[in-house]
Amino acid sequence: MTDLLEVTNISKAYKLPSRWFKKRYIHALEPISFQIQAHKTLAIVGETGSGKSTLAKLLVGAETTTTGEIKLNGQSLHQGNFKQRCQHIRMIFQDSGTTLNPSLTIQQLLDEPLCLNTDLNEEERVQLIRETLHKVGLLAEHMNFYPHMFSGGQKQRVSLARAIILKPQVVILDEALGALDPSLRSQMINLLLDLQQQMGLAYILIGHNLGIVRHFSDDIIVLCQGQVVEQGKTLNVLNKPKHKYTKKLIMSQQYQLIHR
Amino acid sequence: MNLLDVRNLSIELLTNNKPILAVDKVSLTIKEGEVRGLVGESGSGKSLLAQAIMGVLDEKWHVDADRFHWRGNDLMRLSAEERKSIISNDVAMIFQEPMACLDPTATIGEQLEEAVDQQQFEGFFWKKRQQRKLEAINLLHKVGIKNHIQCLKSYPHQLTEALCQRVMIAMALAKKPLLLIADEPTAAMESTNQGQIFRLLASLNQLKNMSILLISHDLENVTHWTNTITVMYSGQFVEAGTTDQIFKQPFHPYTRALIDSSPTANIHIPTKSRLMTLPGSIPVLQHLPIGCRLGPRCPRAQRECVNSPKAKNHQGHQVSCHFSLKGSY
Ligand SMILES: Nc1ncnc2c1ncn2[C@@H]1O[C@H](COP(=O)(O)OP(=O)(O)OP(=O)(O)O)[C@@H](O)[C@H]1O
Ligand SMILES: Nc1ncnc2c1ncn2[C@@H]1O[C@H](COP(=O)(O)OP(=O)(O)OP(=O)(O)O)[C@@H](O)[C@H]1O
Ligand code: SF4
Ligand SMILES: [Mg+2]
Ligand SMILES: [Mg+2]
Repeated sequence: MTDLLEVTNISKAYKLPSRWFKKRYIHALEPISFQIQAHKTLAIVGETGSGKSTLAKLLVGAETTTTGEIKLNGQSLHQGNFKQRCQHIRMIFQDSGTTLNPSLTIQQLLDEPLCLNTDLNEEERVQLIRETLHKVGLLAEHMNFYPHMFSGGQKQRVSLARAIILKPQVVILDEALGALDPSLRSQMINLLLDLQQQMGLAYILIGHNLGIVRHFSDDIIVLCQGQVVEQGKTLNVLNKPKHKYTKKLIMSQQYQLIHR
Repeated sequence: MNLLDVRNLSIELLTNNKPILAVDKVSLTIKEGEVRGLVGESGSGKSLLAQAIMGVLDEKWHVDADRFHWRGNDLMRLSAEERKSIISNDVAMIFQEPMACLDPTATIGEQLEEAVDQQQFEGFFWKKRQQRKLEAINLLHKVGIKNHIQCLKSYPHQLTEALCQRVMIAMALAKKPLLLIADEPTAAMESTNQGQIFRLLASLNQLKNMSILLISHDLENVTHWTNTITVMYSGQFVEAGTTDQIFKQPFHPYTRALIDSSPTANIHIPTKSRLMTLPGSIPVLQHLPIGCRLGPRCPRAQRECVNSPKAKNHQGHQVSCHFSLKGSY
């Protein structure tokens, strides 16, 4: 089976404003490699600033890679080829509330990717928007709302709708589940799992909640300050963590369970 | 003593047609030194309630209450302006969307120094300026930002969301409030850092006797840190009690469902299997069900539920449901 997404040694260094003639860099992400197959979920966990969002931005092409290569279906992705990429790899951002354009209605927001990437006529687009809103637990009447009329968690659902409306192959969830409330979150996990089964989606789950990570993912990468400290099958890593950083991460969530 | 005592607070959204009752008679008390959790699904009006207490809602909203006492004083008798000035003196709030609340045109250092309470310093102005700067650095260290030099001269957009959230917390603490309203204070952080912030808040609660209203959409996330919990759904009061009462024996079908849907609680079921959950979603403000708003999603709903249930008190454990689970334990 060929890998859906194959990532070899990609890294990212941000350039800081230079002092005199010396260039200064932040190595946000050290070289990292992994593969994902269809139907699989890769989880990426790590502390703040460990480079998780940077990795996500590199994959969707929102930032250029410093080194390394990304292959989708065996084809190498070039920096410039944005259109191909944004159809097949979609991302839901961490602070999705602020990435929704406040001057557009939900319908216009969802219409945008459809207009750019498909040949559907208006009726079909509206129908698809209606279905997608329904899939993420919103109502058709929400179409005419503006983002500011939603609460934080509701905005997240709009972003999910926008991500899956193009039927992509890879969806990157950057803390997308963290802002959802529990009953909706389990609905969403059920929904994401259903979509994965139906459409063969691969997910990259960037998240804090190890409960979700354990339930949802097949493989896991633990990042610490841009470096991979542990990589493997989720259950192996979470049940028998080798690195003390991973242990600390797991310990820090134990307290949430004490009460039960 | 009750620090804050709010009875039947309602918030209406004024529209061209009929006003919409976004928050429907919710009561909330906070004792001195208490950490109270305010929990409810996203869109249930938690932030609205907090903003109404702070008096920062704009004129689109109309706030009304049967009682609004702060440290024993009846604030209902005062004008909105006076009420706001008393509250903003003693209460600090960490707003939910930190990026949106910080001023994008000023550096963190400028904003933080402005938030620091001037009155605690003595001496000439250059001395005060020095002290203010030290205090700002001190606050950043408290909230776990070690690299204060870089942070102080950054603009909000140059920091990650999680860092902005910490800066917001530092700014709230700068006022040394009696009550801290923390609206999802750790939403952007991962667990090791969430723990750090919660531990900081817990220690301020213990050492300084600072009361905290901890707002979260996630019950399991706050239970470890709270003494008491109030649950809301779609602008209505659901249940309130001690953390143990709520967690061990929830009386309300909604609270029961919240606890059952937690992924960490479902640790024993096979991975990638379906999770327990209530059907449907929280209603939009424009189409609120009459009576108990959980009705359309509630597994126990019956005909009586079209009338709003009244809150009943069972030894400090209040529940608002016609068919509560009280008898089933
Ligand atoms: N545009 C940028 N310019 C310079 N440095 C940046 C930029 N974006 C991110 N960084 C830095 O890169 C590092 C990694 O950031 P990243 O956003 O990937 O972390 P993260 O793991 O997603 O953290 P969080 O959990 O807070 O989302 C951080 O030290 C950050 O300050
Ligand atoms: N400016 C606004 N205009 C119209 N409706 C609004 C506005 N702000 C909030 N609402 C509505 O009021 C209700 C309560 O919103 P609120 O922000 O208080 O929810 P919340 O409980 O804080 O949710 P979250 O957990 O997502 O922050 C929601 O149904 C929301 O759609
Ligand atoms: S009052 Fe009725 S609908 Fe509301 S929670 Fe109780 S049983 Fe359910
Ligand atoms: Mg990030
Ligand atoms: Mg809120």
